[in-house]
Amino acid sequence: MQLHDTELFKRIQTHDEEALELLYDRYEKLLFSFCYRMTNNSFLAEEIVQDVFTKLWTKQRNFDETKGKFSSWLLTVTRNAALDKLRKKSVKTYELDERDALHEDPSSVETQVEWKEENEQLQTAMKTLSEEQRGIIELFYFKGMSQTSIAETCGIPLGTVKGRVRLALKHLRTELSSIKERGMQHEQ
Amino acid sequence: MNNNSCDILLDYFNDQLSEEHRKEFETHLLYCEECQDELAELEQLVEDLPYAAEPVNPPEGMKGRILSTVKDENKNITPLAHKQTEAEGKSSYAKETENKTKNKSWMKPLIAAALTLSLAGNGAALLYINNQDNEVAEEPPAKPINESLDAIKQSLTLSPSSGVNAEASALMIEQNEKMNLVIEANNLPPLEGEETYQVWVLKDDQPHRAGTFVTNAEGKGAVSYLLEGDKSWETIAITKEPNANSQKPKGEILLSSPI
Repeated sequence: MQLHDTELFKRIQTHDEEALELLYDRYEKLLFSFCYRMTNNSFLAEEIVQDVFTKLWTKQRNFDETKGKFSSWLLTVTRNAALDKLRKKSVKTYELDERDALHEDPSSVETQVEWKEENEQLQTAMKTLSEEQRGIIELFYFKGMSQTSIAETCGIPLGTVKGRVRLALKHLRTELSSIKERGMQHEQ
Repeated sequence: MNNNSCDILLDYFNDQLSEEHRKEFETHLLYCEECQDELAELEQLVEDLPYAAEPVNPPEGMKGRILSTVKDENKNITPLAHKQTEAEGKSSYAKETENKTKNKSWMKPLIAAALTLSLAGNGAALLYINNQDNEVAEEPPAKPINESLDAIKQSLTLSPSSGVNAEASALMIEQNEKMNLVIEANNLPPLEGEETYQVWVLKDDQPHRAGTFVTNAEGKGAVSYLLEGDKSWETIAITKEPNANSQKPKGEILLSSPI
């Protein structure tokens, strides 16, 4: 029987090496891929994954079960670690590139993909967004840019950034929900 | 002002604020329901986005590298080091421990701080601070950062018992065949009257006193203690005691760790 993430997390906090390895195996690829998506750099991505597991091991981060799913929490911790790393390494300013905003090479989404379905649904939802909206999500979420940088990169007034980010995310969420719903109906 | 604060929610979310602004915003967040709602909404809206990452195979050997580095971590860093403030008398120790981990000569501030701790603690501790260069070879350094850890035998993080929300770490420093135990704790509940926190080391389930301390207003406390005799202790634990004289634990174990 598979142990719950939270159970593994608790055991990791008591320095249980077996639990560490189990949780690592469970999330290695997702976290690495996410970090790679954010940094486009496999060396940095590895460093970030290492930072994340170090934080779990040394109890610098605490998961509160009442506040949602462990996987969401872990991904938030990972994103913050990635943003931190990007800042420290002062990786050169990101240039908005359509390839980044919409990864759609289907050849790399093949076998044994744990989050294949979510990935496909997201890609489909992303396509319904305008180019500008995809760009905004890219800069805000995956690059973690400040509002000022987003305004400068996109050439839009600073005061409108917050509204646009929210709108783009809401649009994406609505599309994603309807795609998921359709998928469910399909299965039935 | 409110409006200004609300405007920086995204920068807060992306950790783009200076320390000062971040704290200001967190204070603002405490009473601005609009921001609380927006932040919650934002967290929910982005929840699926990580899955937009296409699967990429991690580099060869990543698992081995990461797991061995992570497991080594507790030997080098005390997690509490990250939470110390400058206002603390012992902060120099904690900060240095963190800052110098990657520096070959971080042993010196550690020992200096261990002394400070012993003065700040129950006074029962004696430290022997002879340099023990001849022990360098004992622990083959896997990586450069381990090079000067010759005298540190063990670094432990104590686990809180169920329902306890405190943290503590312990360093065992061997000198002249004696073991110095340095304990630091955070977030301990406040003490009343003559109550103290007591550190115990256990062998064959027999507890031995290993330092008494009290906490400050923020629930932080520290003590350094010289362990005599036998070194094969099995467990370290912290309890709350009615006074400083308990020869056996009377309170529940709040934090503990195998040694």
